[in-house]
Amino acid sequence: MARNKFDVDENLESPFSFSHLKRAMKYIGRHRGKMLLALLFSSIASVTSLFGPKILEWTLDTAVPNKDFALLGLLAGGYVALVLVGIGFITIRSRIMAHVSQEIIYDIREDLFAHLQKLPFSYYDSRPAGKILVRVINYVNSVSDMLSNGIINSILEIINIIFIVIFMFGTNAVLAAIIVAGLPIFAAVILLLKPRQRRAWQGQSNKNSNYNAYLAESIDGVKVSQLFARQEENLSIMQRLASACRAAWLKAVVISNTVWFSSELMTQIVFTFMYIAGVYWMGGAMVSFGVLMAMGQYVSRFWQPITNLANIYNMFINNIAYLERIFETMDEPVTVGDAPDAVELPPIQGRVEFRDVTFGYEPEVNILEHIDLQVAPGQSIALVGPTGAGKTTVVNLISRFYNLTSGQILIDGEWDIAQVTLHSLRSQMGIMLQDSFIFSGTILDNLRYGRLDATEEEVVAAARAVCAHDFIMEMEKGYLTEVNERGSRLSQGQRQLIAFARTLLSDPRILILDEATSSIDTRTERLLQEGIQTLMKGRTSFIIAHRLSTIKHCDRILYIGDKGILEQGSHQELLAKRGLYYQLYTAQSRLGGVEEPAAYHAPSPANEPVLI
Amino acid sequence: MFQIRWLWKNIGHKQRVQFVAAMVLSAFTSTMLLINPTLTSELIDKVIVAQNPDPLIGILAAMLVVQCLRIGLRYLMIMFFEWSSQEMTYNLRVHLFKVLQYQELRFFDRNRTGDLMTRLSADLDWCRHFVAYLCYQVCDCVVMFVSTLILFFTISWKLTLTLAAVAPLLLIVTGLYKKKSRAKFIGMRERLADLNTAAQENIAGNRVVKAFAREEHEKKRFEQCNRRYRDANLDINKLWLTFYPFMEVLANAMTVITIFVGGAFIMLGEITAGELSIFTSLSWALSNPMRNLGTLINDLQRFGASANKIIEVYYSRPLIADRPDALPHPRSRGKIEFRGVSFSHGPVRVLEDISFTVEPGQTLAVMGPTGSGKTTLTQLLARFYDPQKGTVLVDDCDVRLWQLNDLRRHIGAATQDVFLFSDTVEGNIAFGDPALSVEEAKDFARRADADEFVEKMPEGYDTIVGERGVGLSGGQKQRIALARAMAVKPSILVLDDTTSALDMETESYIQKQLKRLPYHCTKIIIAQRISSVKDADQILVLKDGRIAEHGTHDELIRRPGYYRETYLLQNDLEDEGPAVAAAAVSVKGGKPHGEE
Repeated sequence: MARNKFDVDENLESPFSFSHLKRAMKYIGRHRGKMLLALLFSSIASVTSLFGPKILEWTLDTAVPNKDFALLGLLAGGYVALVLVGIGFITIRSRIMAHVSQEIIYDIREDLFAHLQKLPFSYYDSRPAGKILVRVINYVNSVSDMLSNGIINSILEIINIIFIVIFMFGTNAVLAAIIVAGLPIFAAVILLLKPRQRRAWQGQSNKNSNYNAYLAESIDGVKVSQLFARQEENLSIMQRLASACRAAWLKAVVISNTVWFSSELMTQIVFTFMYIAGVYWMGGAMVSFGVLMAMGQYVSRFWQPITNLANIYNMFINNIAYLERIFETMDEPVTVGDAPDAVELPPIQGRVEFRDVTFGYEPEVNILEHIDLQVAPGQSIALVGPTGAGKTTVVNLISRFYNLTSGQILIDGEWDIAQVTLHSLRSQMGIMLQDSFIFSGTILDNLRYGRLDATEEEVVAAARAVCAHDFIMEMEKGYLTEVNERGSRLSQGQRQLIAFARTLLSDPRILILDEATSSIDTRTERLLQEGIQTLMKGRTSFIIAHRLSTIKHCDRILYIGDKGILEQGSHQELLAKRGLYYQLYTAQSRLGGVEEPAAYHAPSPANEPVLI
Repeated sequence: MFQIRWLWKNIGHKQRVQFVAAMVLSAFTSTMLLINPTLTSELIDKVIVAQNPDPLIGILAAMLVVQCLRIGLRYLMIMFFEWSSQEMTYNLRVHLFKVLQYQELRFFDRNRTGDLMTRLSADLDWCRHFVAYLCYQVCDCVVMFVSTLILFFTISWKLTLTLAAVAPLLLIVTGLYKKKSRAKFIGMRERLADLNTAAQENIAGNRVVKAFAREEHEKKRFEQCNRRYRDANLDINKLWLTFYPFMEVLANAMTVITIFVGGAFIMLGEITAGELSIFTSLSWALSNPMRNLGTLINDLQRFGASANKIIEVYYSRPLIADRPDALPHPRSRGKIEFRGVSFSHGPVRVLEDISFTVEPGQTLAVMGPTGSGKTTLTQLLARFYDPQKGTVLVDDCDVRLWQLNDLRRHIGAATQDVFLFSDTVEGNIAFGDPALSVEEAKDFARRADADEFVEKMPEGYDTIVGERGVGLSGGQKQRIALARAMAVKPSILVLDDTTSALDMETESYIQKQLKRLPYHCTKIIIAQRISSVKDADQILVLKDGRIAEHGTHDELIRRPGYYRETYLLQNDLEDEGPAVAAAAVSVKGGKPHGEE
């Protein structure tokens, strides 16, 4: 499995195209009406502003020379009215567009998040969490302005340009031609810069994502770093990543600023040529003063929108690198998802059947091969075997955390787990994983994660059943004490008890306990056992534990090893068989100081004292 | 203001020169904007009105030069700002990273990863934006406004005063807006941090989410954060848009006054038409700064809210840090002593009056019920917390008098919750000692019984494992963590329930290896299994934070108590009195207890 590290750039080879924008239309399209309205309002505001110079002209040409105070007052009133109308429309447009852009962010983020929920373990296992996080938060924030105001403004500017071109050519075609002639040159500059600029911004987003990934990891792993006094080393890694960020940023900025630089320069050059041409018009005969003045105004009126467009274009280039990342994540295949014709799994009895199941995390390396297994409803199954033999894998397959390479797993003899919805499958199972993640929030919230609508009494009952009630009550706010993932509030054993209680609350038909009690002391474990025994009644259960004493009472014990089930049977049967389980058990007795079962009088396989 | 001083401190000396130069350039280039309109009026008067093309080329050339110079300087200025802001960002990142790296655990109890990430990404970006952009925008606005005003003043002070009358009104409006929006900006920033936290925890806890099929619930939770963030944004926008029209009206008032009052002044003979043309052609230089004021205030508010969040982290000092009189300890013998140590987490008492001594090379085992303070004991040793009462000594020296890194370098620990970095297996083993050779890394992996499964992985020791070691089984993670702890060759090796996920055989293999480490060290072993602790030179049993039992395996199984009870439970024996238990032990081979 290709994994990504904090200092490995992600590969992004897709060529620049506006196809990402086209795809973004899905989000923008919903607001088409509002956006058109905003465009209309903006246009009205622009048009009203066009009358400003006219009023100025009347003022200076008519009112002032005639000393007509009444007309001056009238014109002033008209001007104020125009300004107010313009501001009114702009305000409304801003309000509409604020909604649109916020809705776009909201929608993209929600879709991205929803998709992330569907992605399998392998997605999360193969890249640092920080790289996923920046996409959901920072990148989505960045693209919103482009997708809302960026689009509106570019349309507006294009309309502006068209109007001004018409005006210009209406005034003086030759001078207008000179002004417009700068455009192809400018376009050439942009086209020349485009690929570099895009690469530079992609590079910048890559470096930034690396930095963020390392940062998130450093915060999460800070305890380990401190324990190993690794701070200096970490700092130098971080400095390397931050330097790369800085270098990438500066590189990108130099190129982006060139766009702005060349458009400003072009404006002035065009202005100069226009004046020269105007003044030396047709071998000495000058164009009129008015025309030249007007054209002088048009130069900036024409080039301003072009500069604006160049800036918007810059923004597009920068943000499309982010948009790509977002869509890339949304395109991440849902390898473990509901089949198209998946049905709801009805309430189940709890029969589990493996039919010729083969599985491997990597395509070539099988962890399990040709497993057949039948478990009757209500049976308790223990899985034992060497570390890394695939015990956790077996139980992970029942909840369909991974897809089988071949074979089938059936529930109640008729439901293939690949053909039912994941939600209906998993919500009938209670799985206690090896890592007991605690969410930030109160202990009560964490317990309720098992069943969201559990009453407080039910929660307390579950906590009591796993012997967690007492230590919870000892905390300063009891069940309302705030805890979090990295916090030191809870010991590992306490975390396990909370995770246990949360599984209990979910009241599953199939119960899966993967090393549920490994960090819990023996006495609490004993007390727990009773709770577990009652809990297991009437439920199919799969239990992985290293302390064989905790699983002796299971209906059936499976010895997992060598990619399959090597032995199965009850504790007594397996001991009588004197095979692997027997060896494991006697070894554990010997190593753990556990008495050997007297009935078998077996000689200890090794008589020499074992150093511990 | 404090924020600005603080940022200034974080710009390097060379970059300060750049920054100041850039500010000067900003002021200079803003004034240069006044030149070309003046030249244009020259052009009008001398060329067009006078119908004389001769000065044209000269004036045009001057304008071109001025403009080229201006945009050239502007480019330089922007790059100066970029350089200095990037330098500042870099310095802040490094400083903040250091703060986080050396921060005590209590800090991380209070601050969630998502929130810290917000500070170091979005908030930091606002600081960058401030230095790279806002500073010169403000400077541009002020300089443009003032210089234009001065120019106008020399032409007609009456008209200028009329224009300037608008300014106080604008200040009132913006002041009001600033006051009203402050809390909203702070609120919005909090909503962003919440959103970040929600996403971060969902990603980190994705296994639990799937195990409980809680995707819908998570979506709802996230949606709530997402909505609140959106609403906070819209709320600010709403406030902004109630003030915006007033600001815009005032900005436009400049133009209105210029044209109509100016017009009236001409009629009254106060000013000439040519003079008014300068007013009209430069009226934007007054109205634009006013127009920008609102957006600048928005940005400055955001910057302020963000800067405060970073400053909080920037100046947070851990209580646990090197004391000025801390001594370097290049070597350590590995002697450990606790003298009357008591410790509480807030109001909750965790350890009470703990005293014991472990001689160099000895093994101390710690047992006790869940939550009895075992892990805290080792955390006090590595000085993650300071005890409220009593003293922890290593090599007869109070750990508070050690340099922290020295102390921790002498301690190799494998903790309960295994966190592996996204790096290669080998990189993870060499985490505490980056100079470790590949051979040595493999050797320690063998000692931790990790060699076999690592070799089976697709790329062996070069396989990249993820955060929290996802993709590996619990036992595999524990073994890599164990190899990582052993590989630092510490004088004190702490194993905090490190073998809980291992089967007995693996555990016993590791126990054997621990006895044969290629260096001398004191060991502290926390475990639930009798088999892991019975060989220790001394065994401590903690109960409710106190030492309930203390002795060797032999002594403890003969006494009624937790240890004996656990021993019997793990042996499936009923308690029939001390004699039976002792007999149960001695029956086998007559060897000293626990070696079978």
